[in-house]
Amino acid sequence: MLEVKEVKLIRDERNILNSLTASFEKGRVYAILGNNGVGKSTLSYVLMGLESHNDYKGKILLDGEEIDTLSVSDRAKKGISLSWQEPARFKGLTVKEYLTLGGKLRLSREELDETLSIVGLNNEYLDRLVDESLSGGERKRVELASIMLVNPRVTILDEPDSGIDIMSMEMIERVLERLRDKGSVVIIITHREEIARMADEAYLLCGGRMIASGEPEEIVSFYRKLCDTCQHINEPITEGGLAND
Amino acid sequence: MIESSYEREFTAIAKEYEKSGGNVSDFLRKDIVSIIVSGNKVIGRNTVEGVHVRAKELDNGVEIWLDIEDDVVIENPIHLCTGYLKPEGTQEVLIHNRLGSRARAKFISHCVFPSGVNFTHSMVADTDVGENAEMFYEDTHMHSKDGGVTVRATYNTVVRKGGRFQNMFYLTKTRVGKLFVKMNVNLEKNSTAHIESKVYEREDDYLEIDEELHLNGEGSSGIAKTTVFATDRSKAKIINKAYGNAPYSRGHIECNEIIKGDSVEVGTMPELYVKNEKAELTHEASIGRVNVKQMETLMSKGLSEEEATDMIVKGLLR
Repeated sequence: MLEVKEVKLIRDERNILNSLTASFEKGRVYAILGNNGVGKSTLSYVLMGLESHNDYKGKILLDGEEIDTLSVSDRAKKGISLSWQEPARFKGLTVKEYLTLGGKLRLSREELDETLSIVGLNNEYLDRLVDESLSGGERKRVELASIMLVNPRVTILDEPDSGIDIMSMEMIERVLERLRDKGSVVIIITHREEIARMADEAYLLCGGRMIASGEPEEIVSFYRKLCDTCQHINEPITEGGLAND
Repeated sequence: MIESSYEREFTAIAKEYEKSGGNVSDFLRKDIVSIIVSGNKVIGRNTVEGVHVRAKELDNGVEIWLDIEDDVVIENPIHLCTGYLKPEGTQEVLIHNRLGSRARAKFISHCVFPSGVNFTHSMVADTDVGENAEMFYEDTHMHSKDGGVTVRATYNTVVRKGGRFQNMFYLTKTRVGKLFVKMNVNLEKNSTAHIESKVYEREDDYLEIDEELHLNGEGSSGIAKTTVFATDRSKAKIINKAYGNAPYSRGHIECNEIIKGDSVEVGTMPELYVKNEKAELTHEASIGRVNVKQMETLMSKGLSEEEATDMIVKGLLR
């Protein structure tokens, strides 16, 4: 359904994404596992088409259609959506306004309440402001609720557990379950093995390239073996490097 | 209560007042202090025990004295509505507010000038917030669509020892025309003030805001903030000043100007002056387009650039 073909992104003469290729099927949850600085968040920004990351080479196809020239809004209209690692804060906007996109999404009170309960928040949060008065963890939960309500065809979750305590892993599982039930392709960007294990399939990202893919448990053990002692942290691999080793 | 000979005028003003977010039925309640001005007439007024309202007609406006006795706490907001329904002319409004010691009151003021083509409104509000008194003043303006309104609004305030004062000015729902706002607050010992203006400019609107905090008393503190969303060919010049004249006084001034369009001209000038080494003043200022991350966050959920901008600005200007 979503295909990434030979995507390259260069910054300061470094290959941040280095001929990255991957494919993602409807109704399945994928983990992109990798250390800090290997290009995970960059990949999420490229998939979403952010203005600062739309100078990549290669192709991204959604249901066979090239979407490389589409803006963030146009990609979102096609059904791709991103839950941000560090969600922005908005002065003066309530959680309800944020979740309903200023009233654009026609959502019942029951839908809002139920979605908030999945992320462990009660409906009193609807009147709270999406500003500094929310903690990082609360803001992250609101972001996860927001992405569920948008009901995307392709959901990118950039580090869904960042800012959230370890006790909340069940909450993330509930979010994934909901997205899977709705038939969304879910792409989780993570460096946490526990999160990767929640996926149906996993990719191992290193130096801007997918160096392995398969069952999450297999990729996690590969990650432990290869990445714990990796000499390539924050350095892209070069031709003839680790890829396909 | 509404003067019977001005009922038609009241109906016309009430219509505009409701558009600006006001609740007209509040003007008919006997337990709410209210004053309604149209042109140079006070067409309705009501007061409650402990609040004294006096008004005088001027050639082209009105002068109002509002006095709240010591220890009086007004539960319901005091409603002020100033209107001018003709397309041309001038209106002068002079207001003298006095809150006695330990008194507490919230004022909701609406100025509605729906037809102004060549109209000037000048307002000077002199306010004295008594010792340990608390006053909240919210002023919302609604101007005509064609930008023919000029407003000169001056707020001079003294906040006595231990007093608290907040003044909010909003002009976000209609064209601005030409707007000149001056807020000048003098703070005595351990008093606090928060003054803030929020304006949305369209077409060739023009704006000047000058906010001053004079931290004269030991331990006094204040915040002066301005948020402007300037679009099209509009111009804005914002000056925020703070004077730290007393020990342990603290002041913060902040100006955020968000611009959209290549023909906008905006400027901001924060000025801090300290006369006491134990005073502490800070400032923040920014001019730029709408925050990209906020935009992309909303766009990644399916909003267009226009929709995302509107939503962000709506929040900022609240």
